[in-house]
Amino acid sequence: MPKLILKFEAAVLKEVTVGPRPVSIGRAPDNDIQIDNLAVSSHHARVFAEESRLVLEDLNSLNGTFVNNQKVQRVNLKQGDQILIGKHHVVIDMGGAAEAPALPDAKKVAAPKVEETMVLDTKKRKELLQQALGAAPVAAAPAPSGGPAGHDKTQPVPPAAPPPRARVATLVIMDGNTDQREYLLSSKLTVIGKSDMATIKLKGWFKPKVAAQINKRDDGYFIGPADKVPTVNGQLIHGPTKLNEGDMIVVAGVKMNFVFKD
Amino acid sequence: MRIQVGARTDLGRVRSNNEDSFKLVPELDLFILSDGMGGEAHGEVASHLAVESIAAHCQESGQKPDVPYLVSPRQDLNEKTNRLASAVQLANKMIYESAQKHPAQRGMGATVVAIWINDQRLSVAHVGDSRVYLLRSGEFQQVTDDHSLVAEQVRRGILTKEQAESSDMQSVLIRALGIEPEVQVDADEHLLMEGDVLVLCSDGLSRMVSDIEIASTLLSHNGMQSAADRLIELANEYGGEDNVSVVLVRVEPRPEGLLARVWRWLNEPLQTTTSPGGN
Repeated sequence: MPKLILKFEAAVLKEVTVGPRPVSIGRAPDNDIQIDNLAVSSHHARVFAEESRLVLEDLNSLNGTFVNNQKVQRVNLKQGDQILIGKHHVVIDMGGAAEAPALPDAKKVAAPKVEETMVLDTKKRKELLQQALGAAPVAAAPAPSGGPAGHDKTQPVPPAAPPPRARVATLVIMDGNTDQREYLLSSKLTVIGKSDMATIKLKGWFKPKVAAQINKRDDGYFIGPADKVPTVNGQLIHGPTKLNEGDMIVVAGVKMNFVFKD
Repeated sequence: MRIQVGARTDLGRVRSNNEDSFKLVPELDLFILSDGMGGEAHGEVASHLAVESIAAHCQESGQKPDVPYLVSPRQDLNEKTNRLASAVQLANKMIYESAQKHPAQRGMGATVVAIWINDQRLSVAHVGDSRVYLLRSGEFQQVTDDHSLVAEQVRRGILTKEQAESSDMQSVLIRALGIEPEVQVDADEHLLMEGDVLVLCSDGLSRMVSDIEIASTLLSHNGMQSAADRLIELANEYGGEDNVSVVLVRVEPRPEGLLARVWRWLNEPLQTTTSPGGN
């Protein structure tokens, strides 16, 4: 009996024998081979025996089905064919009579179980992420319900736009007593207060040691409370809050404007 | 800052050996946790090498400030954070070289999280999917980004957080110590406040026990050791599918002196006049 072997990288995730019923492949839980990835359509493709042939049919999936790197709609499968769906492979094992006795032995050379931690090396990682990026749109917002985002069935989604060129976040003091009028936020952590560790040094008898903090992260600058709770554009913040160009911050009697400078 | 520490590691209910390691260096306020991987007993070797070499590098740099950095220091990090990142790079090298020297150890690796507290400044460095959480005034958040395939896919908008948590790919890491001659180390800094609780843990805890349960366990225990014991117990009650390790560090509130009370009293009425939230 022909078998479908679901693989991710070197890891074998599942083996399914093709019987009289078609084997369905997709993201929805009712599939015989479920692939839980947004790049995979709910009912993506199916494989069935027709006369003496094994047939693969794409079910109008959004991101397509590929056999040996060729995009296919309906194709006859042969021993060793590799179906690519999303970032998973399905390998065809026709299980011919001659090979049959050898199979139990071959199975012993099992790929690592996924429960065992495995690490992708740099090359694999790049390939895999590229593949994943090519298969699904990069979006900060989650895909709309009902299926993956994107409308084009044939064109691969272009890679993410390069990040905007580096601009330096700057706090310009509008009001209040500080040791400078302008501060570049070049550190991961910028402290506002009277403490020695503060970058933005407040002057004055009653000023707190650490009034507030600004964290630089990959996705932007975030202001968080310390001994005081700052306001951003007049609103008291609740926990770390992302700063946007032009935001007006007030804390411990100091008013600051957050801007990016070239 | 006065701090209270609790820590424990456990085999769990399924595994036959414990590949996790942690190391507490209270005189430096340095705390390290590592989750090893690799067949036989090699995961243990890797995680042990990781925590010991990080502790050694930080201790040495405290005595001899001219100890060289393994990577050139970054401008946006302070000296301690750069040191810590360098120590993690050293740990990678130690594990990698050991595996090169001993063919039986090929493929061994480890995750690591390390925190170093200097006054109110917290330095964090990590590689892999072990985590640091921060509990501050009732809010519980993860401070580190997991270097796992699913976490990367969430960051790129390919998977939702819920899909990632139920994925069968959770054990696939995109970074770990000891796999390649050099590794990209994540380093970050935070400001610590009195009452903060930091949690370092291996995925044996974070996969078994929900964030809410971890947070409520911390809030319901005064002693950090008893909280650590309880967290291990919970992970095992829920299946204990992996080794489980946790290090808890609480920044103890300073008792308020008379002067501080007067200052606070003087300060507060002044603050409310500047706050639009008042009245």
